[in-house]
Amino acid sequence: MSTHPTTNAAFELLPRLCGADIELGNFIVGDERAGGTGYEASRALLAEIDGLPLRHAGYVNNWWTAPNPAPRAAYSLPSSSGAAASAYAYNPQDVSRRFLLSNGGCAYIDLDHVELCLPEVIDAFDHVATWHGMLRMMKAALDSANQKRPPKRKIQVLVNNSDGQGNSYGSHLNFMISRRAFDNIFWRKAHYLQFLASFQISSILLTGQGKVGAENGRPATPYQISQRADFFETLQGPQTTFNRPIVNARDETLCGRSIMNDPSAPARLHVIFFDSALAHGSALFRIGPMQLILTLLELGLVNSRLILDDPLAALYSYSRDPGLQASAELINGEQLTLVELQSAYLEEAKRYAAQGVFTGIVPHYEQILALWEDAVNSFAKQDFMAAARRGIDWVLKLMAIERSMDQQSSLDWNSPEIKVIDHLYSSLDNDGLYWAYESGGFTEPLVTPERIAHFTANPPQDTRAWTRAMLLRRAAPDSVFSVDWDTITFKLRGKHNWPAYRVFDMTSPLGYTQAEVQHIFESTDDFALLLDALESDSTERTLSTDALAAV
Amino acid sequence: MRFLQRFNDNQQPQGNGDGDPGSDGLLLQLRSEGDSLLAAGDEAIRRALAGSNSEAFLRTSRQQGGE
Repeated sequence: MSTHPTTNAAFELLPRLCGADIELGNFIVGDERAGGTGYEASRALLAEIDGLPLRHAGYVNNWWTAPNPAPRAAYSLPSSSGAAASAYAYNPQDVSRRFLLSNGGCAYIDLDHVELCLPEVIDAFDHVATWHGMLRMMKAALDSANQKRPPKRKIQVLVNNSDGQGNSYGSHLNFMISRRAFDNIFWRKAHYLQFLASFQISSILLTGQGKVGAENGRPATPYQISQRADFFETLQGPQTTFNRPIVNARDETLCGRSIMNDPSAPARLHVIFFDSALAHGSALFRIGPMQLILTLLELGLVNSRLILDDPLAALYSYSRDPGLQASAELINGEQLTLVELQSAYLEEAKRYAAQGVFTGIVPHYEQILALWEDAVNSFAKQDFMAAARRGIDWVLKLMAIERSMDQQSSLDWNSPEIKVIDHLYSSLDNDGLYWAYESGGFTEPLVTPERIAHFTANPPQDTRAWTRAMLLRRAAPDSVFSVDWDTITFKLRGKHNWPAYRVFDMTSPLGYTQAEVQHIFESTDDFALLLDALESDSTERTLSTDALAAV
Repeated sequence: MRFLQRFNDNQQPQGNGDGDPGSDGLLLQLRSEGDSLLAAGDEAIRRALAGSNSEAFLRTSRQQGGE
């Protein structure tokens, strides 16, 4: 239990568990067919990734928050597609989802993009390591797929968020927060929403990947800090593919229980705002500072000074000013630059860190704060070399582009070659500029190669991802009927070979950790008995956020 | 327009007034080291631009919008 810094009430918060679902750009180089090549490229890539279930009966659970989840819209499988998609239904936003025996994450195809979903972690540094672990796995899949293809039909994978032609795809984060905090943000306290939106906008300083040009009907500009800024058109809303909101209100718990079934169950904040990150610094700053700011929101420690008067206008203005001179107006009339606004949020987090509010809630919060402060200070001093070396993607990409312009005087911001460099910064293949800088020692690593390698073969130990991966390893592959984040359905052999379906429930993302259940896995080789033992385990795994009521 | 060149022009070492290069020297060293490390990307940039049809590459990179 901790003590609230203003009310002195005792409180206990859940750790800021996080996950991610991240789409990749994928296409066939040199193939200019109408409609693009994402369909062929994404399927060739996914075919190289092993996972379960082997067959797909449709992915129907947890669709929005219906108390009795309705199936997602089903479409007839196009006869010409030849896709190894659902045997029963075809959903273009969820094709052939397979959960990974290696680390408990999953991969699937969403609208012709391969989408990588990271296993649940609590520690922001583990997020960076799992993300890079998933990228390594994807690189292996890319190599394998390309080895089977003709030389002139190679697949290219880009870890970015827009194609430069007006199409954007997401790099979403998911944070576990209390239902009370979710309701405050979206339904009760408008300044909570504005505080969060303003923080996210200021975070492009550290999380933007950088982009050449403008899209989505926005005025032309040479270079932007954020790849996604042009695509946000409203403050909040549940939608993700059109009229995109800065703060996404999708209410999908992935904790087995919808709000209608259990009002005390935690909620999931689905964050669609950020760019994909390659450098460790930007990858960490997507998670760590969010964990801290969401903790302040949980505790009602919302400084209503730090609210932008017009968040969308501020986002467009900040993103188009890599010189960092633009200012935006707060609701109190103050004008703050991007660096000043991000610094103000940092100071809020530091102030409350000193009062102990993050202890036991955000792992390594002192280290996160130190790195955050160091990165912000590099911008305050206009020391861009330091910012790039600390792993801020948009600065490193800008350096690469300006360096290429210096070396080829014929190039300018309108040259197609410059846009190619923009894209190839994020290429997953050997031509990727980021990897050249990383392997050359330019960017400072925040996690070790060994830790990254660990997460290519192992799940996080401190969340339910551990049990998910272990159950998938132990089950007969053809007995895994369906898998979701919070349940696995097995089709076992019953009496007289009748199928016996068993649904194993993992409602709590913080439950079924290695420490809790490894001894059970070691206690029997019989799979049905293993399920029995796991289900009868008396460990308390109910997640309740009632303790917050005292705040 | 060169964004970063402008920043560097604006960021002249200030010195601390006592003749000790101190942190300015360290900053210059970091920059110098950074410049040489940045060169690690030069070959990748050259490869990216060598012999490729950039406009065709961009056309084939078209994606579906997603989320």
